[in-house]
Amino acid sequence: MLQMKNISKVYQTEMVQTHALRDFNLNVNEGEFIAVTGPSGSGKTTFLNIAGMLEPFSSGEYLLDGIDVGKLNDNQRADCRNQKIGFIFQGFNLIPDLNLYENIEVPLRYRGIKTHERKRRIEQCLEQVGLASRAKHLPQQLSGGQQQRVAIARALAGEPRFLLADEPTGNLDSLMARQVMELLEQINRNGATIIMVTHDPELARRAPRNIQVVDGQLADFTLYQGAQNLKNVAGA
Amino acid sequence: MLLHYLDLSWRSFKRTPLVSFLMVLAIAIGIGVTMTSLSVYHMMSADPIPHKSSQLYTVQLQTMDEGHTWWTGDDIPMQLTYQDAVNLHNASIPEKKVAMMRTGFSVYLDSDKVKPFTGEARMTTPDFFNMFDVSFIYGGVWSEQQEQSAAPVVVISKELNDKLFAGENSIGKLVYLDDDSYQIVGVIADWPLNLKYYDLNNGAFNKVEDLFLPFSLIKANQLTSWGNSNGWKHEDIRTFADRLQSEQVWIQFWAQLDTPEQKTAYGDYLISYIEEQKKRGRFSREKPEYSLRDVNQWMQYNNVVSEDNKILVGLSFMFLAVCLANILGLLLAKFLRRAPEVGVRRALGASKRQVFLQHLVEVAMLGFIGGLLGIVLAQIGLLGVRQSYEYYKNIATMDLAMLLSAPVIAITTCIIAGLYPAWLVCRTNPAIYLKSQ
Repeated sequence: MLQMKNISKVYQTEMVQTHALRDFNLNVNEGEFIAVTGPSGSGKTTFLNIAGMLEPFSSGEYLLDGIDVGKLNDNQRADCRNQKIGFIFQGFNLIPDLNLYENIEVPLRYRGIKTHERKRRIEQCLEQVGLASRAKHLPQQLSGGQQQRVAIARALAGEPRFLLADEPTGNLDSLMARQVMELLEQINRNGATIIMVTHDPELARRAPRNIQVVDGQLADFTLYQGAQNLKNVAGA
Repeated sequence: MLLHYLDLSWRSFKRTPLVSFLMVLAIAIGIGVTMTSLSVYHMMSADPIPHKSSQLYTVQLQTMDEGHTWWTGDDIPMQLTYQDAVNLHNASIPEKKVAMMRTGFSVYLDSDKVKPFTGEARMTTPDFFNMFDVSFIYGGVWSEQQEQSAAPVVVISKELNDKLFAGENSIGKLVYLDDDSYQIVGVIADWPLNLKYYDLNNGAFNKVEDLFLPFSLIKANQLTSWGNSNGWKHEDIRTFADRLQSEQVWIQFWAQLDTPEQKTAYGDYLISYIEEQKKRGRFSREKPEYSLRDVNQWMQYNNVVSEDNKILVGLSFMFLAVCLANILGLLLAKFLRRAPEVGVRRALGASKRQVFLQHLVEVAMLGFIGGLLGIVLAQIGLLGVRQSYEYYKNIATMDLAMLLSAPVIAITTCIIAGLYPAWLVCRTNPAIYLKSQ
């Protein structure tokens, strides 16, 4: 589903050239749940941004669902992002002026989905994250865990095949973090492919597949013993 | 999506009420000043009789001897002598033509209900009303026979009829003008003329006269002009008859020429008239000269809209540009502050074009609100202008075209000011803000 070959990302200033990723190679199969770990500054977030088409890469080849991302223009990338990818951020990134319903509606509007279909999906997603009764609340009226669940609902509403989570539990206490993780696991069981960047070794262990990024390169990965995923990884 | 963008714009307006208010105020002040000067300019330069302006021609004849100059661009006097006006009026062509002059009387009734007052009058031949589209609410114009016989008849304005007779049908009643009584034969309807184009000698924006009387009364009653009388050579004028036969110019003359052929034919007639007058010792120039100018050409010829007015409009647009420069700064600050939210929207699938449009809709909405408030300020400005000078009473107003133009100008200029901030914010790199939020 996701193939990165020799991806490099260089940040250039007048004085310094910083290699955030160098010759980064990764294959992700449909339905995988991958935890990405690594020390701060190792390139995890850069990898996630490139995977989510939020920033361009300097060289290499990136195929998402068979589409050569390097050949897409900005509008096509936005469209592809909207159609295929859901994001969950550490800071939730909910729009403060919009209530929960409207926040979840944002990606659906950009996709041009009709009102009644939007309503159906939003209500379903809010139900799924246990916040159906708070649709009209503003984000600041919710706890951190609840806000992250809204962010997950927003990511799910577009029915993406690919979910990218950047430290999704980083701002939550352990109880909230566990709840969010359980939710992600459930989403993965329902068929979505998830790549999750985390610093938390306990959460990383719960992911079937772990990869580690060190100095902008893939250092190691641990295979989950589950039969299906083992087969997928072996196939890749 | 447009409705959604409008909704987002309104929320943005409410989220930053002070900045939004300042922007609206800046637009409103700019639009208010611009629309005030533009409205006056628009009303000054507007065609006063659009459906007929190319058929009505003012007549000028070059009566002066060689070597004499006039202050007009082509050296031809603006008005005619009395004798030329009478001769041209007695000619067989064109069918409709009018000779006229402004004068005035002391007006009173045979009762003590109304105090005597000074009324402005126009001595005119009967075609005046038809040619200049003046309609009647009571009665009509005097007859040709009454014109020929200098009958003491008068047509009055609706305003005067309201004042003297409380708006009742006054046909047949008498009104006293100076020492003589005149019978009212017609009351004209309201004639809201912004520009008194038919006589630009006596203040282009002055009020239309309240009294209209037969032209032949000038000679019969020895009436003098309340407008310009100009001479170009020494003449020994001792009596009123001398004045009527003099080369002084003081009569306005218009002809209705419906087709180019009629205009050519009338031009030929004027040349033959000049040639004929030459034989009588007048019009000494070798080459006969005349001029026929239609209403709009006549307005330009008389510089009805002065250069000062044009400069004022230009300055007011420059002031609007200064207001917009301020708005641009405020928009930049406001939009860039919103970059993190834009980053989220971009991450969730918004294209640059969608972000750009969303922000343009927001500036358009600011422009619309500013435009509406600007209309209110412009109305206050125009009220001030009207109250400062009676001269501007009719022209310091905003017609429908100007009312509709105000929000259009406001929105357009705001969009121009908002292009750069909107372009800048739509180029937001979402990756920068998503982590930092």
